[in-house]
Amino acid sequence: MSESAYFKCLRCAHEYVGEYTPKAVEEKTCPKCGSNSVRRLKSPPAEKAAG
Amino acid sequence: MNGNGTNAEPEIRIGVFVCDCGLNIAGVVDTVAVAEYAKTLPDVVVVQGNKYTCADPGQNEIKRAIKEHNLNRVVVASCTPKIHEHTFRTCVAEAGLNPYLMEMANIREHCSWVHQQEKQPATRKAMDLVRSSVNRARLLQPQVEPTFPVTQAALVIGGGVAGIQAALDFADTGHQVYLVEKEPSIGGIMAAIDKTYPTMDCSI
Amino acid sequence: MMDVGRHPRIKLLTNSEVENVTGFVGNFQVSVRKKTRYIDEDACTACSECEVVCPVVVPDEYQEGFSSRKAIYIPFPQAVPSSYVLDMDNCLGTNPIACGKCADACDKDCIDYDMEDEHFDLEVGTITLATGMQPYDPTEMDEYGYTRFENVITSMEFERLICAGGPVEGHFVRPTDRKTPKSVAFIQCVGSRSVNRGVPYCSNICCMNTVKDTLLLQDHYPDLQSKVFYMDIRSFGKGFEDLYRRSKEVGVQYIRGLPGNIEEDPVTQNLYLTAENTLTGKVTTHEVDMVVLAVGLVPRQDSELIRQMLTLSPTSDGFVMEAHPKLKPVDAPTRGVYFAGCVEAPKDIKDSVTQASAAVARANILLNAGEVKIEAITSVIHEEECNYCGRCVRVCPFHAITPANKKAGLYPKVVEAACSGCGTCAAECTTDCISMRHFEDAQYYAQVDAILAEDPMEKIVAFACNWCSYAGGDNAGTSRLQYPHNVRLVRTMCSGRVDEDFIMHAFRKGAPLVLVSGCHFSDCHYIDAVTWTQQRIEKTWDKLEKMGIRPERLQLEWISAAEGQKFARVMRELEELRRRVTKEEVDNTMRILSNGFKTATKKAATKRVAAVIS
Ligand code: SF4
Ligand code: SF4
Ligand code: SF4
Ligand code: SF4
Ligand SMILES: [Zn+2]
Repeated sequence: MSESAYFKCLRCAHEYVGEYTPKAVEEKTCPKCGSNSVRRLKSPPAEKAAG
Repeated sequence: MNGNGTNAEPEIRIGVFVCDCGLNIAGVVDTVAVAEYAKTLPDVVVVQGNKYTCADPGQNEIKRAIKEHNLNRVVVASCTPKIHEHTFRTCVAEAGLNPYLMEMANIREHCSWVHQQEKQPATRKAMDLVRSSVNRARLLQPQVEPTFPVTQAALVIGGGVAGIQAALDFADTGHQVYLVEKEPSIGGIMAAIDKTYPTMDCSI
Repeated sequence: MMDVGRHPRIKLLTNSEVENVTGFVGNFQVSVRKKTRYIDEDACTACSECEVVCPVVVPDEYQEGFSSRKAIYIPFPQAVPSSYVLDMDNCLGTNPIACGKCADACDKDCIDYDMEDEHFDLEVGTITLATGMQPYDPTEMDEYGYTRFENVITSMEFERLICAGGPVEGHFVRPTDRKTPKSVAFIQCVGSRSVNRGVPYCSNICCMNTVKDTLLLQDHYPDLQSKVFYMDIRSFGKGFEDLYRRSKEVGVQYIRGLPGNIEEDPVTQNLYLTAENTLTGKVTTHEVDMVVLAVGLVPRQDSELIRQMLTLSPTSDGFVMEAHPKLKPVDAPTRGVYFAGCVEAPKDIKDSVTQASAAVARANILLNAGEVKIEAITSVIHEEECNYCGRCVRVCPFHAITPANKKAGLYPKVVEAACSGCGTCAAECTTDCISMRHFEDAQYYAQVDAILAEDPMEKIVAFACNWCSYAGGDNAGTSRLQYPHNVRLVRTMCSGRVDEDFIMHAFRKGAPLVLVSGCHFSDCHYIDAVTWTQQRIEKTWDKLEKMGIRPERLQLEWISAAEGQKFARVMRELEELRRRVTKEEVDNTMRILSNGFKTATKKAATKRVAAVIS
């Protein structure tokens, strides 16, 4: 059901891998700062892709 | 189509009423300066300060100004619309204006109360909020509220002491009541209590 | 209680749950499921023949497990309706081989193992929510040894032990040796007034309940010594101080200070409480036969669902939020819904009854008026620009728009009575041909323009939904929480109303930062409109990035009406973000947006607002 994906918090810039359920629209919260401005990234964050 | 203020409409005449709310607003925001600023905004024809706009004298001022200055829009800069939108809608309606032509600017909850140490920025913010409401008010249109009949029956969810009292009161005032209780019997927590304070008598 | 069962105008549905609520003030449709009792409740005479033959014995919930009942039982002797109920979970099996004894025993033939749940569709004008509370479970406060030590009981259990109709017929005894104790200690504020465990608020009733309990004990057993360990005794109501004084006069000891822990003597099963009397500063150990924990009241765990059906929000304590805490204490923010009793906050019987009568008086204003006016904030479809795409029909949380059919030339139509004015359709319409009465696009542009007219670099444009975020801002104000002054709120009924165009417009006019804020998903006042907000913002982030605008400049936050603290925190965080936006960046954005933003599909809307944004 749930898949893992890359997320980025647009408040504190924290990037992380988290679970999400495709199709279901869910409330997202940054695990670091608690903001809801969390964006799911289509591809891994730049530095992770590089490293 | 309603949408914007078209040329066909009569001239827009806005009255702005800036409330001190005692010292709640005026203690932080320079309400006199806000009122002066409001006079410079487009379509504003009259601006008044009030100590307590929501009190009767304040409301009477609004009604008087509507008639005297032939106002067709009203902006009240005071507290949150969640408290007094209804009050001021009713007020302008009593002066013959469609209630939807009244707009509020929240310069208390969203301004004076949360920027208590920053009097000047708070005053500038209050000006912005008034300007925003005036700009919106220019485009407001009269609205007619749709009316629907009320089904003559009441539902009470929960059959504890409160639900029982509510059901009985509804029924005794002549209304059909449905009382829905999750458990097999009504009574709730009260039914399990032996004697109750302060009268020390039995609960059921 | 009996009167309810008898009253001709009261239809009593017990063993029943509300499954769905639709409609609006004055016109609610409610579907109720009445779980079967397997017994014809009108025919049952409560003769108890069935109970006698039933072989299953289980703990009796009503008696707090101090005694037992059968699988077919009556909840308590005075139950209304006065009918037995069959507890299928514990029944051995209804086929004659397994058991089926009760059906044989019943002369009136009122037991029917095939009886099914019933559904009722009710039409009502008003709803009164009286779902109550539940007592705090003190098991987690392990230092008091509840469940470890049998002689430590809760105040609810005390009620059953002292009651003449209880498991020991009112001969108050302690659980281990069934002897009347010589000393009983009461511990106050169990689960209440604690920020770490239980709840932070005062549960209102437990002080007076204990005072009452000590007087009952004194009355029945004059030699019994009661000790009450407390933080403060709150005897604020009419006649309360009097009872408290009487309790002290008859020799009940009141000791200011809560015991740190309780230990049990393994032989006598007596209990030792060590507490510092904060008035004298002395630490003393007290030996008692029995301990009663005065447990607090907490919101019902199962109330979440009904809360959501009625689109109600909780306050920070978990009880429901009123339309106004002082001026409309029994009105829900949802019109036509009222509160009675502990669902709103912990209260005693007198206050519950008072509030119930108040709720009925308020509801009767509506019922007696006979008709209700709905706010004129519904959506309007401008057919001449509609392309039959059907998006509005799909997104409407209330199914308030009838389907479009291009072949038949049928435009979508708004059913005014069902539209609650969330504005999601207007924001999502592919041709921007839906406008909202009293919340027109042009009016939003006008507000944004006004905010950004002077010193736009200093401003944060924040769209805040009426019910939660805007109210959360009000809450911050009422609590005098201070935050930076740069934010300017624009009120929308729902965050679902915030059109991507509004956001772009703010950026085009030089806003360094835009916030869209709404209710938490579980609090959304328009069912799931907020999910469309979330999806729209995600798309807008992508779009901004493609255009070379930092998505970080569009922020999203869910803030409930009770979260003044969160509101203030978010405002502080946004101000930090705003400071990092450069003038150059904003100029660049303005250039990008003034070139390519007016897309072909948005022609109609652009025309409608052209007058204002120029
Ligand atoms: S035997 Fe029949 S009538 Fe008597 S209590 Fe049982 S179900 Fe009711
Ligand atoms: S009523 Fe008394 S015992 Fe109950 S929480 Fe309040 S102070 Fe504590
Ligand atoms: S405004 Fe909301 S409730 Fe009304 S038709 Fe549009 S989507 Fe439905
Ligand atoms: S979304 Fe707009 S264009 Fe599409 S069917 Fe609805 S009103 Fe017509
Ligand atoms: Zn973060």
